[in-house]
Amino acid sequence: MAGIYVHIPFCKSKCSYCDFTSYPDKLCYAEGYMACVYREMAKRSKELKSYKFDTLYIGGGTPSVIDEKYIAMLIASAKKNFNLAPDAEITIEMNPGTVSESKIRAYKKCGINRFSVGLQTAVDSQLSDLGRVHDLKDFIGCAKLLKGENFSADVMIGLKNQTVGDIEKTIQTASDNGALHISMYALTPEDGTPVYTDYLNGELPDGDEVAQMYGAGVEKLASLGFERYEVSNFCKDGKKSRHNLNYWRRGEYIGFGVSASSCINNVRFTNTFDLDEYFKCILSDCFAVIDSEEIDREGQEEEYIMLRLRTSDGIDLNEFKKLFGCEFTEKYSVQINKLKDSLDRGSDSIKIKDEFLFVQNSIIVEFFN
Amino acid sequence: MSKPNRNIRNFCIIAHIDHGKSTLADRLMEQTGQVSSRDMENQLLDSMDIERERGITIKLTPVRMFYTAKDGQEYVLNLIDTPGHVDFTYEVSRSLAACEGAILIVDASQGVEAQTLANVYLALENNLEIIPVINKIDLPSARPDEAKQEIEDVIGLDASQAPLVSAKEGIGIQDVLEAVVHNFPAPDGDPDAPLKALIFDSYYDNYKGVILFVRVKDGKVCVGDKIKTFRSEKVYDVVEAGVFSPGLVPKDGLYAGEVGYIAASIKSILDVAVGDTVINADQPADEPLPGYKKVQSVVFCGIYPLDGSRFNDLKEAIMKLQLNDASLIFEPDNSVALGFGFRCGFLGLLHMEIIQERIEREFGLEIITTAPSVSYKVVKTDGEILYVDNPSHLPPQSEIEHMEEPIVKADIYSPPDYLGQIMDLCREKRGTFLQMTYLDKSRVQLEYDLPLNEIIFDFFDGIKSRTRGYASFDYELKGYEKSKLVKLDILLNGEVCDALSMIVHEDSAYNRGRLLCENLKEAIPRQLFEVPVQAAIGGKIIARETVKAVRKDVLAKCYGGDITRKKKLLEKQKEGKKRMRSIGSVEVPSEVFMQILKTNKD
Repeated sequence: MAGIYVHIPFCKSKCSYCDFTSYPDKLCYAEGYMACVYREMAKRSKELKSYKFDTLYIGGGTPSVIDEKYIAMLIASAKKNFNLAPDAEITIEMNPGTVSESKIRAYKKCGINRFSVGLQTAVDSQLSDLGRVHDLKDFIGCAKLLKGENFSADVMIGLKNQTVGDIEKTIQTASDNGALHISMYALTPEDGTPVYTDYLNGELPDGDEVAQMYGAGVEKLASLGFERYEVSNFCKDGKKSRHNLNYWRRGEYIGFGVSASSCINNVRFTNTFDLDEYFKCILSDCFAVIDSEEIDREGQEEEYIMLRLRTSDGIDLNEFKKLFGCEFTEKYSVQINKLKDSLDRGSDSIKIKDEFLFVQNSIIVEFFN
Repeated sequence: MSKPNRNIRNFCIIAHIDHGKSTLADRLMEQTGQVSSRDMENQLLDSMDIERERGITIKLTPVRMFYTAKDGQEYVLNLIDTPGHVDFTYEVSRSLAACEGAILIVDASQGVEAQTLANVYLALENNLEIIPVINKIDLPSARPDEAKQEIEDVIGLDASQAPLVSAKEGIGIQDVLEAVVHNFPAPDGDPDAPLKALIFDSYYDNYKGVILFVRVKDGKVCVGDKIKTFRSEKVYDVVEAGVFSPGLVPKDGLYAGEVGYIAASIKSILDVAVGDTVINADQPADEPLPGYKKVQSVVFCGIYPLDGSRFNDLKEAIMKLQLNDASLIFEPDNSVALGFGFRCGFLGLLHMEIIQERIEREFGLEIITTAPSVSYKVVKTDGEILYVDNPSHLPPQSEIEHMEEPIVKADIYSPPDYLGQIMDLCREKRGTFLQMTYLDKSRVQLEYDLPLNEIIFDFFDGIKSRTRGYASFDYELKGYEKSKLVKLDILLNGEVCDALSMIVHEDSAYNRGRLLCENLKEAIPRQLFEVPVQAAIGGKIIARETVKAVRKDVLAKCYGGDITRKKKLLEKQKEGKKRMRSIGSVEVPSEVFMQILKTNKD
């Protein structure tokens, strides 16, 4: 199993928490950029011939901000250059303020079968604080267009002036409007974003309050039939994000576009974060990789533990033995004993207890050398 | 019997701290052409960084100068610079034993101070000739006549001929040199007798081995001679001998009356002790020179490497420091919380601070130190008497009949304006008032008996802040007194943390315990579980705080591009954990031990 990721670095306006590579004022470059992405795909085609891909994820930025024909061509190009399974999960991220009926029709027509909608919060004043281009009404409209589709809604916690009630309302709204998957993220104030100023001024909820919001959110989601399968991800009817699961299983993936990351054959590499540089590289028939790191066995093991412990399945003891040639429970018996209050030990798996998932860094770090 | 060189003068400078000892030494060297004023760096003899930064002298430093006096003869002047602070009295007494004379500096505006007196007594004990010198006469507040009068009244020395000097401005330096030449006796001792040289200091040189600083009393020592010390059987070949100028300058040998150094490829720093006598192995003298009194440590603390694996480096560092500072005593110690380290004894708080700083600077080691403690006398129910300076070595309460604590007699000198504040402080510190003497209209001397364990915390800071720095203070050990002392334990998650235990007076135990708990609550990072922080006396809990469990410690998103970043983040978190010590299941950053000790105020 392997995944393809494509980064679309354009958006209508920059949100106040965003530190991703995205350009609110460069939509005019979209055509040229997409041409480069197709070319980058063609260039990778040969070396990945033996790979079978079963997910394609189009993220950003706001992929829905560019003309739908580029998305259709993108999917065609992916199918042409790679062995993409017929039943592949193909996801696109959307901003509720940038969609229309015709756009969604076009997405579906070209094979997109999963939609990830950035709702963030159902409270309009908070949406405007975040610099989002949509309001609650836009989300409801968007959800209507996606009726019956496999769609996910992003929900943020830890926002300025947010209450536990706001979170419950947001989750209720997403669920009522048909979302089968909800990603509930804690806002991370990154240096250099406007939200960071709020953080410095103490206007954001502190860690304890965020933990309380998270707890309330998990409870609300459970009451609505959403099952947690990763720290921040919840779904109904088994509609997990296959693409993201692949990351947490230490699967391989190839990324295209500016700032996209890849992991192929235990080498992690990342494209340039600079749009101009990306253009230059691709147009001069080079890759745009700026960072590349081969992960040694110890690193692979650490990554495996770190990623697996994010998920509700935890570490698969049989798989661990197969991959690393030793018993997890023997090698880490000291840590397991020390952490016995926060770990759940099954016959073939070890996972972090639900109530400790939100403090997992402190737990995972114990397994590092 | 021939006489040693009549034109040698061995002398030292003694003074109260900050009366200008090092500056005068600089001036003397400049005047005798030892250093050109172009190369002149302030406080030339204070070669340690710490000495220059703090403006104090810690180590004694010898230097040799040539001076052509007004009588036309050339003299060799050996000056040994000495520390002024009370903690370094031991260093002073060592240098005095190598001299025939002492220049006593008195600040023209401050007059005779506590340490002036203490050093004068030391000099008199060593039968030294003393020349009083009035320094800082350039200051507007200078009152040289009053200072002279004080010297005569308080010390009983004739000060009528005392040179009036400004070391800073270079005034009167020649008068000092002339006084040195004419008032100090030439060294006696027999150049033809078997060698006897007093080791007054030493240090370890990576290339030459142990360098001995000696004063040759009788005989001579030359390159190639076989030497040994009185107390050790090992014989060494002298590889190098020479004088201080002020760096090491080799000569063919050292002769009776001279001050210099010997290098003899001595590898083990345990083989030579300061205070021992160097003799010739082929022609040994039959009696050693009188050595030094064994030093009495007053303040104790545990020193541990921050990184537990560097215990051996710490051991070597402390041993090398001891070679250079014989007043430092140590023995290996083991703490449950801090691992292997040393229990060290010091002459005072400043001495302790200096040693800690030297370990960190000169050896590049990061260390953890425990709260300073004093040596308590414990009388057990079975009549046995113990001296305990480490709280964790205290026998169980039930076996203790009673305990006694060291008491000092403290002299505090202050302008009369601050008497009230000083008396308040002494009362808070359980002091007993003895008497008050008006030295003159602007200075009062207060005498108190104070428990030493109150002084080692923040007494000095307290005095300085309450008198705006005007008061000075000196103390000497008086003896032991019965006292209501208890061992205060700190429990983390129900387990006693030995490194945080301390012995305190019953009356202050509750406050200290509460304060420690409050401080620890702030300093201990939140863990996966709730950590109770308790203070206890003999199993009875007297204070409690709680470190709440951590509730959010997660990277919310972890997709393709986040994996490397998340791993780096966790590696950093892991790195931070390496600096932590585990006390039971609780992880405590090493820094906590020091922060807690530093904020350990009432």
